Amino acid sequence: MKMQKTLALVKMELKKIIREPAYLFLMILFPAVLTLVFGLAFGSPQFNYMAPGLFAYACIFIIMIVAQSFSDDREQGLLKRINITPTTSGEFMGSHIISNTLLSIFQVAIVAVCSLIIGFRPKGGATGFLLAFVLIIVLSICSVGFGLITASVAKSAGTATGLSFIFILPQMFFGTFIPLNDATRMIAYFLPSYYATDALNLIFLEGVPLTELTIWIDLGILSIMSVVIVLLGILLFKKYGKA
Amino acid sequence: MDDTDNGYAIVIEDLVKKYDDLIAVDGLNLEIKSGELFGLLGPNGAGKTTTINILNGLLKPTKGTAFVAGYDVKKDLNNIKELIGVCPQEAALYKFLTGRENLELFGNLNGMPKNKIKERMDYLLELLDFEEDSRRKVKGYSGGMLRKLNMLVALIHDPKIAFLDEPTVGMDPRARRKVWEFIGSLKSQNKTIILTTHYIEEAEALSDRVGIIDYGELIALGTPKELMEKHEAKNLEEVFLKITGRRILEGI
Repeated sequence: MKMQKTLALVKMELKKIIREPAYLFLMILFPAVLTLVFGLAFGSPQFNYMAPGLFAYACIFIIMIVAQSFSDDREQGLLKRINITPTTSGEFMGSHIISNTLLSIFQVAIVAVCSLIIGFRPKGGATGFLLAFVLIIVLSICSVGFGLITASVAKSAGTATGLSFIFILPQMFFGTFIPLNDATRMIAYFLPSYYATDALNLIFLEGVPLTELTIWIDLGILSIMSVVIVLLGILLFKKYGKA
Repeated sequence: MDDTDNGYAIVIEDLVKKYDDLIAVDGLNLEIKSGELFGLLGPNGAGKTTTINILNGLLKPTKGTAFVAGYDVKKDLNNIKELIGVCPQEAALYKFLTGRENLELFGNLNGMPKNKIKERMDYLLELLDFEEDSRRKVKGYSGGMLRKLNMLVALIHDPKIAFLDEPTVGMDPRARRKVWEFIGSLKSQNKTIILTTHYIEEAEALSDRVGIIDYGELIALGTPKELMEKHEAKNLEEVFLKITGRRILEGI
């Protein structure tokens, strides 16, 4: 029964997304509209170069949802209430990582479907897709970490929304669908989303084989960054975020 | 109960809690017996909620310590969490879930088996006449309904020790009577209940013993009858007035 508490929390978090109109809008409409707008504005073949970056952007965007959701629950006294039960912080954090990663995968799926409709034809075989899936999961976990950091700093759900853009915007500008030059690339090296997008581009646009070392270096750096950011998020949240 | 508790559910020893320069609890000593319904009475800001939050682990004591069922709040919090239920002053519920879903969630978070959750939930909902409302989302609840569910969530796992922090604030008199009856029924199941309130009648009607707390200090302790006799007062309000020269509800 070790998973009982985690699963109950995951179920609750998913219901929150489905039943709260604001979250539902952010989750489904936003990525879909964004993809369609870009698709119509740029058209093929230019849009093709942006599509992998849009996948990464969908993962980054959950930073805002995570930050908002944590701050909301805190404001309602629910974090304290959970804290009084025998639920451990491992089970609690685990449930958030699981539910938000699921959410992120769903968003990427929406972006992917919209992209395919517009005419995006990715290269890379089944193994390439599998690796892309792993990249998306790792970037999502990283976003949960950023969301936790945001919620720790923000005093209310309102400020959490605004503050989350500190982490969303740079990653969006310098590491997703916007082409980079030499100067912006220097900034991008510090951002997790850059490595995810770089690897996704290699897989989907270039169709490079999985023996290509760059993909694995990208995944390695992204993983290390994600672990550090999630741990930092959990630490900060435990220290400053709960009250 | 366990051998570890010596018949006491709660033992508070020289407890001090300071926030910066404010002293919320100031050298509190108190023992509450197992199976007792103990009323913690005092004006707003007297330190009642702070005391409860130390007992349930949300706050760390500045000095002194407290034992819940024989477990030290500074060391054995995990053991304590298995035994207690807490009804917070402000209703803390998931608004997008129904009443039943809230109960189910917290049943799970307390590690109850599925069939036990359902059994206990049906029992509680019927007892408080809440079955119909419990199927609706909390979002549409009235203040009184929120309060009721707030208390049921605290008791879903049938805790040995329950902290009820102002459970009836904002309830209409009829609902309040119902909840009083319910709290009274818990006592007959040999549960220990710590009830904080600033409603005099509530403390008088329900409590085996009452502790009156003011500026973080215990200023009177005994059965309601003892206290009234000792201070030659008609009710607990007058007891408080005679000791402090102020009224409990002053300034609210």
